[in-house]
Amino acid sequence: MFHIGWFLGSGFGIQSWGVPGAVASDHQWMRPDPYIRMAKLLEEACFDYMMFEDSLMVTDTYQNSMEYPLKHGASSPKNDPLPLLPILARETSHIGLIGTIATTFSHPFSAARLGATLDHLTNGRFGFNLVTASSHRSAQNYGLEKHVEHDKRYTMASEWMDLVGRLWDSWEPGALVADEDTGVYVDHTKVHLVNFEGEFYKCRGPLNTLPGPQHRPVICQAGGSGAGRAFGATHADTVIGSSNGMEPMRSYRRDMDRLLAERGRKPTDCKVLFLISPVLGDTEEEAQEKQRAITAQTEASLERSLFAMSYFSGMDLSKFDVDEPLPADFAARINGHQSTMSDYMSAGSTLRQMAKHRATTSVELVGTPDKVAAQMDEITQEIKGDGFLVASPVTLQSITEIARGLAPALKRRGAIRSGYEHTTLRENLLAF
Amino acid sequence: MFRLAWFAGQGAAPPAWNKPWSGNIGKDWAKPDHHIDLARALERGCFDYLMIEDGSFITDSYQGKPDYALRNGWAVPKNEPMSLVPLIGQATEHLGIVATITTTFYPPYMAARLGATLDHLTDGRFGFNLVTAHNDRTAQNFGLEKMLDHSLRYQMAGEWVEVVDRLWHSWDEDAIVDDHENGIFIDPSKVRPIEFEGRFFKCRGPLNTAPGPQRRPVLCQAGGSGPGMDFAAKNADTIIAIVTDVADAKRYRQEMDERLISLGRDPKDIKIFYSVSLVFGEIEEEAQEKRRRLDANAQASIEHWLFEMSFSSAIDFSKFDLDQPLPKLTTNASKSLTAKLNLVEGLTLRQIASAPHLSGIRFTGTPATVAAQMGEVMEEIGGDGFLMYESTTRRIVTEITEGLCPELQRRGLIRQTYSYRTLRENLRSF
Repeated sequence: MFHIGWFLGSGFGIQSWGVPGAVASDHQWMRPDPYIRMAKLLEEACFDYMMFEDSLMVTDTYQNSMEYPLKHGASSPKNDPLPLLPILARETSHIGLIGTIATTFSHPFSAARLGATLDHLTNGRFGFNLVTASSHRSAQNYGLEKHVEHDKRYTMASEWMDLVGRLWDSWEPGALVADEDTGVYVDHTKVHLVNFEGEFYKCRGPLNTLPGPQHRPVICQAGGSGAGRAFGATHADTVIGSSNGMEPMRSYRRDMDRLLAERGRKPTDCKVLFLISPVLGDTEEEAQEKQRAITAQTEASLERSLFAMSYFSGMDLSKFDVDEPLPADFAARINGHQSTMSDYMSAGSTLRQMAKHRATTSVELVGTPDKVAAQMDEITQEIKGDGFLVASPVTLQSITEIARGLAPALKRRGAIRSGYEHTTLRENLLAF
Repeated sequence: MFRLAWFAGQGAAPPAWNKPWSGNIGKDWAKPDHHIDLARALERGCFDYLMIEDGSFITDSYQGKPDYALRNGWAVPKNEPMSLVPLIGQATEHLGIVATITTTFYPPYMAARLGATLDHLTDGRFGFNLVTAHNDRTAQNFGLEKMLDHSLRYQMAGEWVEVVDRLWHSWDEDAIVDDHENGIFIDPSKVRPIEFEGRFFKCRGPLNTAPGPQRRPVLCQAGGSGPGMDFAAKNADTIIAIVTDVADAKRYRQEMDERLISLGRDPKDIKIFYSVSLVFGEIEEEAQEKRRRLDANAQASIEHWLFEMSFSSAIDFSKFDLDQPLPKLTTNASKSLTAKLNLVEGLTLRQIASAPHLSGIRFTGTPATVAAQMGEVMEEIGGDGFLMYESTTRRIVTEITEGLCPELQRRGLIRQTYSYRTLRENLRSF
């Protein structure tokens, strides 16, 4: 069996504006209702989790202006996703709920407290997706001139996670006694100072709340760079893979195996899930037709791809000739999403060629639900991977196709679970 | 008419553990049901808002260790309160929901985003209660040796409000055009950076979410000190005043009005809620007897008052001789207690700690007589509302929302329905 989740790349924000069937769009983008319905459908489909992306700025890398993202509703407006999770938890019983937090800007004490609280309010189904943030504009919202350099962000994040973990550990299991006869609520001998002093953070502790059912919420991570993978291997229970094709996917999983082993962890301790956007149809022909339309649209909206690549690379790509090879120092200048950009670069040597790559599609999956289910099964066996993250647009149609079409086909093959075995997210993730 | 608000003074920590009618709060404390049920009851009673306290430390001022607090479950374990707001929002339609944020340790950009998100998720019923944090232990959780100096914290908070407010205004009212024909979701000319550079904060902006229905959520504040009151006068929509009696409330109202007028603000725009201490009985005698009993219990639990005084002032009251008068006290923590203590001459610490603990205007009687008394007292004070500040068991809540509120409504003293959708509109409706 493998794992399956949904990666909401636009977080708790405007989804697919202008696309028919968009559910959290127009004047509904800030309502919890579309996400409640989605969570219920994905729980019916027995998904492991929904993961909400987040970012902390309005990007103006492309054309040195905020015009493109604002006009097209691409990435803004976007609410803080963490307050949405308790609402989704209340409306569901089993599905995991992961929300993004920026380690660079969120203090470890606040994050530890928030994490414990959300773990309580989701009955142990919560996870943090850790990002370091990628844009100078994010840093400038927090008073810095420029963003912290890429590798240093991960060094900071590692110390951040170390401290957050220690704060969760500052309460021993069994600290909460609640003995009405002796009048003792908390056993003070089981609550400890942390006295942390690192390069970036200092914290006395203890945490002033009890950890939740998981004690340590699930940690998710998505950086594919060297520093990112090392960080994931050290701290994460699940990582998001977005490679471009079978070989890179296989090698990502192997690389993680190696990095995990170096840190005394087993390959099964960290689930690598690859981004996919399956194209489904009632018949093979219908699916192929849809795929042709998507390809044509991607090529036609070159500007959309240039916008996305500008965001990922941190460079204004409107300044480049789309049919000329990139300058030699291009890769070195990327301070943003390094591995995502290298996937684009493996698709071609000019921007127009690179634009054909879709960051949310590690491998093409086109066909009827049964055919796609079979493909997903084969791929998993071959790369020895752990599963997939659907990153399709959030529209009524795609949610329904996946939850009511693809998921049942996967269940029929015994490829995904047919029911949840455990009550907490980590237990369900580690069950196989 | 006047108003009612509820101050959940223990925040998202177990309220009133191990008391009669505590229920199973010992094991259920982390479930949101306690606060959701409280909110629903307050909405039935047509309260203006529920305000949830918060703090980020375990107090160890008393006896220099956290043992007392931990053993008694006093303000610990305490979950982060903002996560309760969306749940309360889903369970209610009219009640205002105010939650505490610590300006000293919460970056303004993050706060502006959180505030906008919660304003959306509550359909414009959200408010921030602003605190600066008063304790070295809080500071040490965030990497500082000591808490910032009292007046500096408030200067910083003032600048914090400015940044957050500018971020909420970085999107024009009509920025979202949603024009499918021309392919324009947001008009780019209506979203602008704020380019703020102050003494404490620097922030480019713009906010990456649109403001909520109120644009600027309600701001609540509770400082009783000079700088605290100045800060409130400049920034708040509503103020929590912990007072000892009617005279104290009148004095507070006057001092706040003077400040407001000197700042060019209309006193009617800021609603002040005075703390009350309520004891009910089915007949008058029963209520009076209960009040006597509660006072006697308070006198017997000196240690508890020493603990609470230590908590707010960060001074270890276990160190003083109980049967001597107190020396002059200074603190960088909450200053309102030490200010009051320094005014009391000749009393021993035992006498101070065992006196009835005056944390609100006292009303004792049947719901009907209390309602009538409240009407008269509010006339005398001159407005605006009363703050319930009780340790929250379901029984106490029920006495108020199902006993007192109908009596107040019968007398036309509080609203019978909510007139408006958003919290600020309801706060300003009379």
